[in-house]
Amino acid sequence: MAEEYKIGDMAEKIQLLKQTATELKRISGGIQAVDRNVDRILASIKMLEINISDVAGIL
Amino acid sequence: MEQYWNPILETLPREKLQRLQLKKFQNIFKWAYEHSKFYHKVYSEAGIELGDIRTFDDIRKVPKVEKSMMRAIQGKDPYPYGDMLCVPLGEVTEYHQTSGTTGQPVYQADTWQDWEWHADAWAYVLYAQGYRASDRVFLPFGYNIFIAFWGAHYGAEKLGCEVIPGGVLNTEARILRMQELRATAMMATPTYILGMADVARRKLGIDPARDLQIRKITVAGEPGGSIPTTKKRMEEAWGAKVYDHIGATEIGDWGYECIYQSGLHVNEALFLVEIEDLDTGKLITEPGRRGKMVITAFDRMAQPCIRFDSKDIIEWSPIDKCECGRTFRLLRGGVMGRADDITKVKGVLLAPTSIEEVVRSIPQLGDEYEVLVTKKGDLDDITLKVELMAGQEGNVDAIKNKLVDQLRVKTGLRYTLEFHEYGTLPRYDVKAKRFKDLRPKE
Repeated sequence: MAEEYKIGDMAEKIQLLKQTATELKRISGGIQAVDRNVDRILASIKMLEINISDVAGIL
Repeated sequence: MEQYWNPILETLPREKLQRLQLKKFQNIFKWAYEHSKFYHKVYSEAGIELGDIRTFDDIRKVPKVEKSMMRAIQGKDPYPYGDMLCVPLGEVTEYHQTSGTTGQPVYQADTWQDWEWHADAWAYVLYAQGYRASDRVFLPFGYNIFIAFWGAHYGAEKLGCEVIPGGVLNTEARILRMQELRATAMMATPTYILGMADVARRKLGIDPARDLQIRKITVAGEPGGSIPTTKKRMEEAWGAKVYDHIGATEIGDWGYECIYQSGLHVNEALFLVEIEDLDTGKLITEPGRRGKMVITAFDRMAQPCIRFDSKDIIEWSPIDKCECGRTFRLLRGGVMGRADDITKVKGVLLAPTSIEEVVRSIPQLGDEYEVLVTKKGDLDDITLKVELMAGQEGNVDAIKNKLVDQLRVKTGLRYTLEFHEYGTLPRYDVKAKRFKDLRPKE
């Protein structure tokens, strides 16, 4: 069933999301309203990695 | 696709699934080795280094962790979790603790990331059991320091369900609220599911199967969901499908029934379950042999759970392919008890779940029962207290014969039987304590 899905493409986009979120935090100037919300976004991105990216490497 | 939360992981061919598991085990082992003083010490003392885990067999060399080891390091800095903690205290956002049934409670730290993971593990459970965004899910759960259905709340939200927190309401108010709001699903312990149905009928004149719209129930916290006779009673009382689920504070939510109810799937994308022979400690891979579970959560980072000796008694199912198409292995009979609970009585190993299975197979008996193990002289004695349903007083002899026969078949033991009036044995709101071993400790 895994072949039906664009796992590699999804993993790439997930990586992009992570880079974007991390970059946003880097330039936030320490604004808590940015940093803390980015941390939450990163927690969700980690779940995307667990659900998609981690398996991409073994298929 | 419709029946899977994640069709990629849930239908991954076994060989690929095992490669994923090995990779994930290596990652969590490295993380704990490098970030937790506790794990570093345990592994160093065992002579295990980073890079030593190359195959599945190597995993068996990694020392197991027990609850007593966790208790020993807790209450110290970083307070109160001690050296098991892998992240700075400032990153911990969730505190929970075990109930302390077997001793001093264990503190559990989670970060936002862990909490997302927790909700996702529950999402696998609920999606497999048919929960969808259209469901209105009622949680008759006293939201508190115990993790219990907190994860279920967030897992159901993740699916898009409407979640109703039925926290500080009494049982009657919860039933009325479920009726008023037309809740379609709920989650609780088997004891409370049966207890609520009883209260609905006796105190409110409500027949849950007829008057409420609950059609899916997820149970946890006790073995009842995988005991056929208890499941049948719950399903009949509520007119709903009842699905079992298994999780623990220190582990996460690792096992669940799907809509086909063929056994409990182990979520092998998030957890590694090993079953060990109770006497030899050797790995059991074949179906039908009971053993003790050793479990690893691959992605719980603040306070990792690596080769945790849970003492839960489980066995692999002979069914190697569930109709649902998941490749996750199945367990037969759920968690049958804990290694600590499976007590020797009169020289025979006794699992309390076997007694429950018998009591609840006899319709003339109520849901409640109590087992007392005592010492009379040098001999063990087991007293089983049961409740007669109203109007059954004239049938005691026939019921007694049936009970004696079935108990002998299921447990190989003889019991002193006590019949009580319906409604007189203790009732429980969460986890029941029906098995009491009152023999002097040696």
